[in-house]
Amino acid sequence: MTTLALAGNPNCGKTTIFNALTGSRHHVGNWPGVTVERRSGTFDSPAGPVEVVDLPGTYSLSARSEDERIASQYVADPAVDLIVNVLDASNLERNLYLTTQLLELARPVVFVLNMMDDAETKGLKIDLPALAKLLGGPVVPTVGNREEGIEALKAAILQAAAAPPQHLATVNYGSDIEGELHKLEAEISRDEELAQTQPPRRLALLLLEGVPHALEAMERCHARKAIGAQLAASLAFLEKHLGADAATLVAERRYGFVHGLVEEVVERSARKHADVTSRIDTLLTHRYLGIPIFIAIMIGVYTLTFVVGKVPQDWIAAGFGWLHDYAGARLPASELSSLLVDGIIPGVGAVIVFVPVIMLLMGCIAFLEDTGYMARAAFIMDRLMHLMGLHGKSFIPLIMGTGCNVPAVQATRTIEAREDRFITILVAPLISCSARLQIYIVIAGTFFKPVQAAFAILAMHFLGFFLAMGMGKLLRLSLFRGENAPFVMELPPYRLPVLKSTLIHMWEKGSVFLNRAGTVILAGSTLVWFLSHYPGIANRAWNAELQTQQAAVRARNLPHPEQAAQLAALELTHESRVVNTSLAARFGKLMEPTLAPILDPYHTRPEAWKDTVALTAGFVAKEIVVSTMAVIHQAKAADGGEEREASALQEALRTRSGLTPLTALAFMVFTLIYTPCLGTVGMIMKETRSFLWAGFTIVYGSGLAWLMAWLTVLGGHLLGYV
Amino acid sequence: MSHIQNKALSDLQPGAEAVVTQVLATGKIRHRLLEMGFVRGARLRVEKLAPLGDPMELVIKGYHLSLRREEGQCILVAEEI
Repeated sequence: MTTLALAGNPNCGKTTIFNALTGSRHHVGNWPGVTVERRSGTFDSPAGPVEVVDLPGTYSLSARSEDERIASQYVADPAVDLIVNVLDASNLERNLYLTTQLLELARPVVFVLNMMDDAETKGLKIDLPALAKLLGGPVVPTVGNREEGIEALKAAILQAAAAPPQHLATVNYGSDIEGELHKLEAEISRDEELAQTQPPRRLALLLLEGVPHALEAMERCHARKAIGAQLAASLAFLEKHLGADAATLVAERRYGFVHGLVEEVVERSARKHADVTSRIDTLLTHRYLGIPIFIAIMIGVYTLTFVVGKVPQDWIAAGFGWLHDYAGARLPASELSSLLVDGIIPGVGAVIVFVPVIMLLMGCIAFLEDTGYMARAAFIMDRLMHLMGLHGKSFIPLIMGTGCNVPAVQATRTIEAREDRFITILVAPLISCSARLQIYIVIAGTFFKPVQAAFAILAMHFLGFFLAMGMGKLLRLSLFRGENAPFVMELPPYRLPVLKSTLIHMWEKGSVFLNRAGTVILAGSTLVWFLSHYPGIANRAWNAELQTQQAAVRARNLPHPEQAAQLAALELTHESRVVNTSLAARFGKLMEPTLAPILDPYHTRPEAWKDTVALTAGFVAKEIVVSTMAVIHQAKAADGGEEREASALQEALRTRSGLTPLTALAFMVFTLIYTPCLGTVGMIMKETRSFLWAGFTIVYGSGLAWLMAWLTVLGGHLLGYV
Repeated sequence: MSHIQNKALSDLQPGAEAVVTQVLATGKIRHRLLEMGFVRGARLRVEKLAPLGDPMELVIKGYHLSLRREEGQCILVAEEI
């Protein structure tokens, strides 16, 4: 099978070329050990199937970022038969810089001039045969989003694979640099093992540029002394004779080569149209209008994701609720049916319920990225986000976190630099999500007057944002110290996105979520089912007791509503007995002393442990805090109905729980900050590929939550509240 | 056309045109800037500042790029006036 690697700059339309080549026959995974997506697919040809691997878009192969490391390793991989270099024809000069590095690999290359239509609109005329001659390889013009030129590209690929082009261009670095390159090459060639890994000339250039992985390769080889000595001599010579460091000189010569090439093959006619992108930007990044427009777009995305997305979400929840009731009513009461009915069915439901919002949010983000607006959003918000140690692109994930943290963590994929992405992931759980809102509504509604309650709820959201800012700054100064990733961001031309690629993108994200995070969530919720039902569920005496009592009620032949109410009350008593003696409850009671300074500062609340149990259960999903409280306080309205149930719980909380307005506020603060929910933890694990980081968010969240809730109690106490 | 030598890029006003004379940044940032086209002699034009005053947008090598003030301080240019 022939394998080809698609290499090119970000925003050159590489992915549309990939989609056009492979159709729907492709697979998304990760590159080994990192979270960078690896897309590969195949197309059939008379010469057998051809595998296409889409490399991350990079501006260079210097291997200074994760993306660049992957791209530069893969293009040099012997498994790759052919490199396809995709170039944005409307922006040749910058795009060809990467080409100069690809040429140094001395491997077969096919050049694709994509976005030929944009080049035409810009009034650029490109002499294709001349360009092919100067580069030494076939050049194919395409318009990726209209799938134009794809057949010609396939033909060129097959031809190049069968008979590789022989005379690739080489950049001439001028006699001084070339002289030093020759000396270095000679030293490198002496070490056969080293020379086999890549062309000596390329390695010599990487060494002159001071690329870390090349220096490491040198340190590992046998000839390190000789090569190292020559490198030091060459660097000193060049600095002295050309008055600049080698990295600058090499970059200058490459751009010099490219400039010469472009002058030769590109003819600029008078511009047919004014630059459309600049005209759009006079509005979208306008000094005064830029921010309001940005906010309006964010409101639109939020509404589409979380308001429109709530509709299918409610259907899914209702469907699983129905399945739960149906199975619960039909299956004989046993531990196994409880595992199915109370463990697995809600667990699967908890996973699938995220899919609509994830697909919608990822679809919106793909749309913003493909149009080019994402870079403008980062441009507008960077000043603010930089204050908190983050990147302009961190804003959208954080703001979407107010809907749900799970897709917010996944949305950090748009942030290129690893440090920026990790900090954003780690602070995202501090943003108060809509599930936590439900808890605030019940608690604040019970203990505060309506206006105060609204203020308290609003305050929670602001607190979340401020803590995220503070933690961002703190993480930047501690765990992620070291060199800041530079903010040098291209503002690509605005383009109309292709519906097909947005849909492919949405589907990929949804399925990736189900595969990876889904398994973690399902496993976790089954575990929590176990912890919150054992050992009580297996207690035969209790089960027998329940059955006898139920039989007794039925035997009394009461009128139907009364009988149902009594049966439900028995069921609830039994259920709360099981939960209150479960492993989770024991854990809650065990933890109660640690939370006593917050939830029971005066040791006046015998029921304080119930809060801890509810919080423990809330680890699965924050919504569960409220329903668990209802069970352990035995506050279920007999005739169902969510509103009645909530008010029954509020009544129980007010009269029996012993919470005061102050400790209730502390409880809200704690709920805001303590451990991210299981779904978020699963997503963090997937996005950081590390148990440690996921564990870290749980630990630091709980610590910070304790501190902030304690400060709330202390502050309130000093102000005279109890 | 005359030039004001060795001005920091971050001190240019929107609309200003200049030629890169030296990149002072070191490490990763230096290499990234070189790769993105900030080589000696490269012409650039400052388009605008972001609504909050930072970063700035400029055109270099025929494409639009944004850059924080911090990074702009490490690039010396000769402004054309």
